[in-house]
Amino acid sequence: MTSLLKVQNVGKMYGKGANTFTALSNITFQVDKGEFVGVMGPSGAGKSTLLNVLATIDTPTTGDIVIGDVNLARMKDAELADFRRDNLGFIFQDYNLLDSLTVRENIVLPLAIAKVPTKEINERVDRIAALFGIGDLLDKYPYQISGGQKQRTASSRALVTEPKLIFADEPTGALDSKSATDLLESLSDLNQSQASTIMMVTHDAFAASFCQRILFIQDGQLSKEIHRGTQTRKQFFQEILQVLSSIGGGVNDVI
Amino acid sequence: MTLFSLARKNIQRNLSNYFLYIASMVFSIVIYFTFVTLKYNEDISSVTGMSKQIKGLMSASSVVLLFFIIIFIAYSNSFFMKKRKKEVALYSLLGVRKQKIGLMLFFENLVIGLISLVLGIVIGFFMSKVLLTILVRLMGYEVVANLPFSSEAVLNTAGIFALLFLFTSLQGYRVIYQFKLIDLFHAEKQGEKIPRASFVAAILGTALIAFGYYTAAADIFTSSIWRLFTIIGTPLMVIGVTIAGTYLLFHSVSVFVLTALKKATSWSWKGLNLIGVSQLLYRIRANAKSLSIIAILSATTITAGGGVFGMYYNTEASVRQMLPNTFMWKGEPVEFSQENVLYNESLTAKSLRVDNEFAFFEYTLLKESDYNRLAKLQGKDRELQIADGSTILLDASYDERFSHDFTGEKFKLQNGDSFHVDEMYTDSVLNFIAAGTVLVVNDKEFAAANADDVKLQVVGMDNDLKQLNVSKEIYQQLSSDHQEGFSSVPQSYKDSIATVGSLLFVGSFLGLVFLASTGSIIYFKILTEAEEDQAKYAILNKIGVNSKQILKTVAGQVAVIFGAPLVVGIVHSSFALIAFSKLFNMNMTKPVILWMVAYSAIYGLYYIFTVRSFYKIVRQGAK
Repeated sequence: MTSLLKVQNVGKMYGKGANTFTALSNITFQVDKGEFVGVMGPSGAGKSTLLNVLATIDTPTTGDIVIGDVNLARMKDAELADFRRDNLGFIFQDYNLLDSLTVRENIVLPLAIAKVPTKEINERVDRIAALFGIGDLLDKYPYQISGGQKQRTASSRALVTEPKLIFADEPTGALDSKSATDLLESLSDLNQSQASTIMMVTHDAFAASFCQRILFIQDGQLSKEIHRGTQTRKQFFQEILQVLSSIGGGVNDVI
Repeated sequence: MTLFSLARKNIQRNLSNYFLYIASMVFSIVIYFTFVTLKYNEDISSVTGMSKQIKGLMSASSVVLLFFIIIFIAYSNSFFMKKRKKEVALYSLLGVRKQKIGLMLFFENLVIGLISLVLGIVIGFFMSKVLLTILVRLMGYEVVANLPFSSEAVLNTAGIFALLFLFTSLQGYRVIYQFKLIDLFHAEKQGEKIPRASFVAAILGTALIAFGYYTAAADIFTSSIWRLFTIIGTPLMVIGVTIAGTYLLFHSVSVFVLTALKKATSWSWKGLNLIGVSQLLYRIRANAKSLSIIAILSATTITAGGGVFGMYYNTEASVRQMLPNTFMWKGEPVEFSQENVLYNESLTAKSLRVDNEFAFFEYTLLKESDYNRLAKLQGKDRELQIADGSTILLDASYDERFSHDFTGEKFKLQNGDSFHVDEMYTDSVLNFIAAGTVLVVNDKEFAAANADDVKLQVVGMDNDLKQLNVSKEIYQQLSSDHQEGFSSVPQSYKDSIATVGSLLFVGSFLGLVFLASTGSIIYFKILTEAEEDQAKYAILNKIGVNSKQILKTVAGQVAVIFGAPLVVGIVHSSFALIAFSKLFNMNMTKPVILWMVAYSAIYGLYYIFTVRSFYKIVRQGAK
C-alpha cells in the first residue's frame, strides 16, 4: 500500500513567549490509500486541532504534512484553498450546509467551483445522492429536512468531487443513534466499495468502531494505536472502550 | 463601579464600533446646522436681496431635510442597537436588571448625542462658511460674506436634535424591554424561505413602469392621457404609478429574473455564480422596500439636480436667444462710456398692434435694410431680399406647441394692411423685450405702412455679461416710461443666475444629503447582512474557495444591490427630465449627463467602501 498522508513531527503552539500553549507536539503517522482511520481522545486532547492542521484550515507551527506528493507546509493561502478544492472533502459536525441553496445545489457547489461541465455535474450528483439515499430530497432546502438527511447531504457534498482524502469532524455528533448508524454504514460502504480514504475525528466509541485503525491522542501527543484486524465490530468496540478507560477521560462521553 | 462610569468605559473601549454611528450623527447635525445657519443669515438676504420665493424654498427644504435626517438617524440607530444585542444579552445573563441596562443605554445615547452635537455644530460652523462662499459664487455675486455665529441656528439645531436623541434613547429602552434572553441562544433564524416569483406581480410592475414612462414621454399638449388627468394630476399620477411599479419591480421582477438565472444551470453552475444568485434571491425580497426607496430617492435627486443644473447651464443661452443686442431701448440715444462698444445704432421702426379674439400682441415692423445692417453687426450671415407684399417673421418666443406658424399665410394687420409670410425665423435681430415679434418688409413697403414710428437704440458690447455698470448708467438716463422697455443682457443674466444659482445650490445641497444618506443606508444594510453571512463564507473557504473568488462574488453581489436602484433611478429620472426639457423647451442633454456622472461617481465611492468592509467582515469569519 502506498501512503497517501504522511505526518512528520507536526507540532502546533499557540501564544507567544512564556505564555505558549502546546496543542500538538511531535505527531508522526501515515495513512494509506483506502484506509478508514479514526482519531480519538478526551476533550482538549488536540483532536480537532490535528484535523484542522491536516485539512489545511490551520497551519502547523513545526513539522511537515505531505498529501500525495505535495508538502502542505510550503504552500501559500491561495494555493491551499485550491488544494482543498481539488483534493480534500469535509464533513462537519454541524453540517455546514448553505441554507440559501437546495440540497442539489449544495452538492453541486464544489463541482461548480471546480468548473466541471453541467452535464457531468448532473450525473455525478445523481450518483452520489443515490448512494446516500437522498435522491428524493434534491429539490428541498436544508431547513425542510432532518439532521440525518442534512449530514448525508454534507457527506455527498464532501464526496462528490471524489477527493483523495476525506476529513470528518465528529460527523455523528449531532445525530440520533439511528441516523448515526446509517451514516457510518454509508461511509464504511463507500470506503470499501470505492476505496476512499477517510479520516474521522470522534469521541464516540460506537462511531469509532466502524474504522479499521484508531489513533488515540492525549495532551497533544499520540499515545496509542489499535487495529481492527479481523475482529468483528462488537469486539473492536470493546477494545476501544478498554483503551479509553486506560487512558482516562472520554469514557464519560461514551456512557 | 457606577452605571455612568460603566457606560463611559463602554464607549471608550468600543470606540471603533461607535465611530460609524457617531460619524453619521455628526454628519446629520453638520448638514442641518449649515442649512439653518444659511437660512437665518441676514447677510446673504440683504446682500443678494434674496427673493421671498427662495426664502420659502429654503424653509421648505429644511423641512424635507429634517424628515430625511429623522429616517437616517432611525436607521443608523437600529443598526447600532442590533450590533449591541449580544452585549446586552451578556449583561442580562449575568443578572443585571433590565431597568439598569436600559438606564445604561440611555446614558450612553445621551453622551453620544452630546458629543455629536458639539462636534456637529463646530464642524457645521466652518462648513457653512465654505458653503456660503459657494452659494454666493453660484448666484454670481463677488462679495465675500462674513458669517457671524448665529445663536438662533444653534438653538434651533440643538433643540431639534435633543428631541431626536431623546427619542432614540427611549427607543433603546424599548429594545431592552422587548429583548428575550432566549434570542441569544437561537443561533440564527432557521429556514427563511426562498421567495417565489409571482408572474402577475412581475407583469403588473413592468406594465406600470412602462405606462409611467409612456405618459412622461408623451407630448403634454396632444396626449389624451394628459388631457384626461390635467396638467397637475398627470405628474402626480405618473409619480404614483412609477413608485408602485418600482416596488413591484424589486419585489417580483427581480425574483423572477434571479430565479431564471439560477435555473440556467449552464451559467449558474460555474464557479460561485450559484452562491451570488442564491444570496441575492434570498435577500432581495426583504430588501424590496429599501431598494425601492433608494431608487425613488436617487430618481428624485437626479431629476431635481439635473433639471436645476440644466436651467443653470442654459441661462446664458436663453438670455441670448431673447436678447440678441446687449442693450436696447426705445427713444433717444444717451451718453455712456464707449469702452468695449462693438456697435451703437439708432434706427426707426414702426410699432403695430394686432388684436385677435384672445389678446393683443405687440409687433414691430422693421426695414429690410435695417435688418441686414443689424444682422451683419451681430455676426449673422443671413441677408434678406423681400418681395413687395411679402414679409419675413422673426419670433424668438416661437414654440411649435402653442404658437401658430404663419408661413405661407396672409398676415393681417389692424390697419388693414396684409402681408404674405414667406418665411419665419426663431432668431431675431431686435431684443424680444420691447420689440416683440418682428415683421421685416422691404424699404418701400415700410415707407408705405400706416403705423406709428418708434425710435430704437441698439448697442452691442464686447464681454457683455460683465457690463452691469454700463447697464445702470444707461438705465438712469432714460425717462421713466422708457425705462420699462429697456432690455439689458447683463441685467437679465444677473437676475436669472441669482434665482437659478440659489436653486442650484439648494438642489445640489439636498442632492448631496440624499446621496450621502442613501449610500449610508445601503452601507449599513449590507454590512448587517455581511455579519449574518460570515458563517457561509467560512464554509466556502473550508470547501476550497480562495479569497480572490470570495472577493469577486462579494463585489458582484454588492454591485447588484448598489447598481439596481441606481440604474432604475437614472432611467426614471431620464424620463422625468425628458418631460421637463420638453415643458421648458430646453436642450439639457449635456448638463444632465454631467450631473448623472457626478452622482454615479460619488455613489461608486460608497460601493467601493462597502465592498471593502464586506470583504473584511467575511475574512474575519474565515479565521
